[in-house]
Amino acid sequence: MTEPVGGFSPALMRGLLSRRTLLRGVGGAAVAAGLTACGTAGTATKKVAAKDRAATDKSSSEKIVNWSNWPEYIDVDDKTKKRPTIDAFTAKTGIKVNYVEDYNDNDEFFAKVKPQLAANKDTGRDVWVSTDWMASRLIRLGWVQKLDQANIPNAKNLEPNLRNVEFDKGRLYSLPWQSGFTGIAYNPKSTGGKKVETIDQLLTDPALKGKVTLLTEMRDTVGLTLLSMGKDPASFTDDDFNAAMDKLQKVVDSGQVKGFTGNEYGKGLASGDIAACLAWTGDVVQLKADNPSLGYVLPATGHMIWSDNFVIPNQAQHKTNAEKLIDYYYDPAVMAAVEDYVNYIPPVAGAKEVLQKQDPSVATNQLIFPSAATLDKAHVFRGLSADEETRYNKAFQSLVGG
Amino acid sequence: MTATVHVPGGSMPAAPVEPRKRRASKVPYLLLLPGVAWLLVFFVAPMIFLASQSLQTGSIEQGYALTWHIGTYGDALSAFHSQLFRSFGYAATATVLGLLVGYPLAYTIAFKAGRWKNVLLVLVIAPFFTSFLIRTLAWQTILSSDGPVVGFFRATHLMDLLRSLHLVAGNDLLSTPFAVVMGLTYNFLPFMVLPLYASLERIDIRLLEAGGDLYARPFTAFRKVTWPLSLPGVVAGTLLTFIPAAGDYINSKLLGNTSTTMIGQVIDGQFLRVLDYPTAAALSFTLMLAILVIVAVYVRRAGTEELV
Amino acid sequence: MAETASTGGDLHLQSLTKQFGSFVAVDDLSLTIPQGSFFALLGPSGCGKTTTLRMVAGLEEPTAGRILIGADDITDTKPYRRPVNTVFQNYALFPHLDIFENVAFGLRRRGSKNVKQQVDDVLELIELGHLARRKPTQLSGGQQQRVALARAIVNHPSVLLLDEPLGALDLKLRRQMQLELKRIQTEVGLTFVHVTHDQEEAMTMADTIAVMNNGRIEQLGDPASLYENPVTTFVANFLGQSNLVRARVTSRSGEHLTVDVQGTTFTMPRARCTSESDDIWMGVRPEKIQVNATAAGANTILGTVTDTSYIGVSTQYLVQLGFGQELTVVRQNDGAPILRPGQEVYLSWEPAHTFGLDARQDAKAGVEREEGELVPAGDAS
Repeated sequence: MTEPVGGFSPALMRGLLSRRTLLRGVGGAAVAAGLTACGTAGTATKKVAAKDRAATDKSSSEKIVNWSNWPEYIDVDDKTKKRPTIDAFTAKTGIKVNYVEDYNDNDEFFAKVKPQLAANKDTGRDVWVSTDWMASRLIRLGWVQKLDQANIPNAKNLEPNLRNVEFDKGRLYSLPWQSGFTGIAYNPKSTGGKKVETIDQLLTDPALKGKVTLLTEMRDTVGLTLLSMGKDPASFTDDDFNAAMDKLQKVVDSGQVKGFTGNEYGKGLASGDIAACLAWTGDVVQLKADNPSLGYVLPATGHMIWSDNFVIPNQAQHKTNAEKLIDYYYDPAVMAAVEDYVNYIPPVAGAKEVLQKQDPSVATNQLIFPSAATLDKAHVFRGLSADEETRYNKAFQSLVGG
Repeated sequence: MTATVHVPGGSMPAAPVEPRKRRASKVPYLLLLPGVAWLLVFFVAPMIFLASQSLQTGSIEQGYALTWHIGTYGDALSAFHSQLFRSFGYAATATVLGLLVGYPLAYTIAFKAGRWKNVLLVLVIAPFFTSFLIRTLAWQTILSSDGPVVGFFRATHLMDLLRSLHLVAGNDLLSTPFAVVMGLTYNFLPFMVLPLYASLERIDIRLLEAGGDLYARPFTAFRKVTWPLSLPGVVAGTLLTFIPAAGDYINSKLLGNTSTTMIGQVIDGQFLRVLDYPTAAALSFTLMLAILVIVAVYVRRAGTEELV
Repeated sequence: MAETASTGGDLHLQSLTKQFGSFVAVDDLSLTIPQGSFFALLGPSGCGKTTTLRMVAGLEEPTAGRILIGADDITDTKPYRRPVNTVFQNYALFPHLDIFENVAFGLRRRGSKNVKQQVDDVLELIELGHLARRKPTQLSGGQQQRVALARAIVNHPSVLLLDEPLGALDLKLRRQMQLELKRIQTEVGLTFVHVTHDQEEAMTMADTIAVMNNGRIEQLGDPASLYENPVTTFVANFLGQSNLVRARVTSRSGEHLTVDVQGTTFTMPRARCTSESDDIWMGVRPEKIQVNATAAGANTILGTVTDTSYIGVSTQYLVQLGFGQELTVVRQNDGAPILRPGQEVYLSWEPAHTFGLDARQDAKAGVEREEGELVPAGDAS
């Protein structure tokens, strides 16, 4: 569960705050505070040299590990509200896990920890879970530490296709926690029974006018658009990007798009206010459980794949404990238990075999255990230089904030 | 002033009265210290940082340096002036609507509610027991296209009216300027009602009787007695609604569309997503100054100093 | 709007009744107040006097009964249409308007011509013309009181209602304002209906006083006859002080009545006894009692001084009679020696100053006074 809010039932909370829901609004105060903070740290933002990153590891004296993760992104026993795999880790190792669901949004979280990281100070966290591009930024800035592979023997179970990502060759700094696809979701009730199968249809079909949402995650929205134009998100040029932005700008200007969202699209999609949208797999698996009529399509032109990755920030006080935690979750049996609940794509080989015995319905779901053919059509967004990131973000933000 | 007479130090070092005098003269200033410190730490310092940030250039990689680059303001304003004006437009509309809804409500609670007064006041505040975000999300449900409100608007042709006013585009309420203004009005309504109630409740009922006794019909009595006496509440309520509404970014984000973007959303995006801190700071500063000017003009015109 | 002030005439209350739930605030009250008179409704708090006033103003709706001014029935007329104005307790001046606009308020509502002239005239009358542009809060209590009066009389109402108009003023100012009110009433010639719990205030100003108790009028009359001839124990006690002694009628001969009080015989004019019963309260006002060293004349009784209160202009004594009851005696300090407790004295009074009341009434009725009220005349200074 997330932090209790008012007197809401867990079921309602699930609806409002599905995992990874971008409750950025909560960060309203954080914006103000952040503006202040950025003043203090304003000129101190610098890459931290590798030798200066580690703190004295207290792992052996303090049997704790502080883990920040997205809401609803781990297995929870629906009856006891406990987290079985975490409890089992503590029972096994004696290490207490301070599990905090305060990672609502990559950008917001970055703003939150930036002052400490920029000053090379402890953030109070030993490990957290950042999406590829944020992990990439953190590695680029030198704000996360190399993982000690000796403490993570289970890393050998990492799915081969995730071993060599552009932003972290050889997975020296990061290991995936969960992966997912970005595709198209639609509500037949609101599309007039129509299927929505291509990005071009999503962006131009008059039947959907004013009832389409795209994602505020630039890489998902622009990536899928590039694919629809026959470009590869892993190797596009400035011109390709600009062409994609022009296409999107026309679509926005035409009134086809009602807005850009994090995954708060779930509610609108279920109610029919959103006829079709870009959506993440795990969300859709969960939404379909309550609304079986919802459709989900991975477009023929290709879809985006992303991962959220464990990283250990500079000056973490319990680095070894964090690595033990990562190692623990790379045990296929443990990851299978998580997967059975969160329904994303596990990065750990062998989890599928475990689940085939325990919960075959999950093990055969293409959105959780995709076939090789499906994975072939999955694309990643290429790493961006700092300058590109700034320019692209700026352009994309003016599209979003019309 | 006469209390702070200082005898030159050293002239009467042993006099018993002297230290007591000196202490008495400093106490008032010492009492000011916590307040002054609070202001310095939580207002002046952030303000200086904000101003400084807005005049810096650089990037997150290279770091920022204060280059007095005033051009950021011009660039930010030329890029985002429409969102700024839209914010004030929405906020002003929400304030007027809030007054139209809030005044009768506050009036009823103050004068007609009898023993239900406290219950009604709690009900006015009750929405605050849940978070701002949850309340706004609730409006998504209220205005959703499968909800009863939309059905009512369609059936009564109110939808056509809204469309002709360009407050909605299609046949839905959600993701329209209408929804954003509704959300703003609703979310800040207690800020309108409570000051109004406070000033109405203070009005001596005998003044209204006196109005009637002096040949004022009920409406005239309201116009000539109740309304002017409630003006301090009106001014306070409208300010407390307008100021946060102008800077709000949740309502337009959750209830609006890409063409309802308000300045708060832009600042949020520039700060969090683009990491363009100077632009975010410049826009924040501009917003603050603009609100300051509007409030100053408004308060002056409202002439609150004329009121008791 | 019609020129409401033109309807003149006497104010008639006919069987006026007001109930709040089961509580009867005003009980079948009938009364005629002549045009141009200064009329006081006097009674303790809760007696129904203010409710009566508010019904006349139109601020309360009667449960039953009618209200007429001359021949016009105004019972169902809205307050803003009644030719009636009120001077409120605590004045109820509009704090956001200056003195001039406060006074002009009623004139403007009725669309009067020459507002400025009329307001200036009335401000002249109350001698506050120089403060016309001040706000009410900048005025003293007495000045506010006069503005409240001006605000009402400028409209020339058929009836002017005054609700405890001097209650918020200190004693000295109150005395001064009593005279002023009377002067203004004489000058403008309007019907004043004045509600008060202060018997001295009522007696100083009013032509006619109605003493109210429990929603009813106990006695109606001019101040002197109410004081000299109270017809109930309530009036006897509420208006000034009275000594009430239980007596038994022994004979009724001609104009006189002979009564026996524990063996002592007293006489009084038969007309001054309101009871036909043989058991009566014999009453006499404290200042009517003579104090003598020797027995002299009729209506004489021996007693012992138990308490002496020197007040300046007079001295108040408590004198215990043989059978234990104490009488209050007030004597002018005209040079006679002050009596000491323990001294034996003879008390006597004129038969004509004696009155008789029904013994079934409560001898203590009207004695209990609310806080802050004036004690009887003579004590006050």
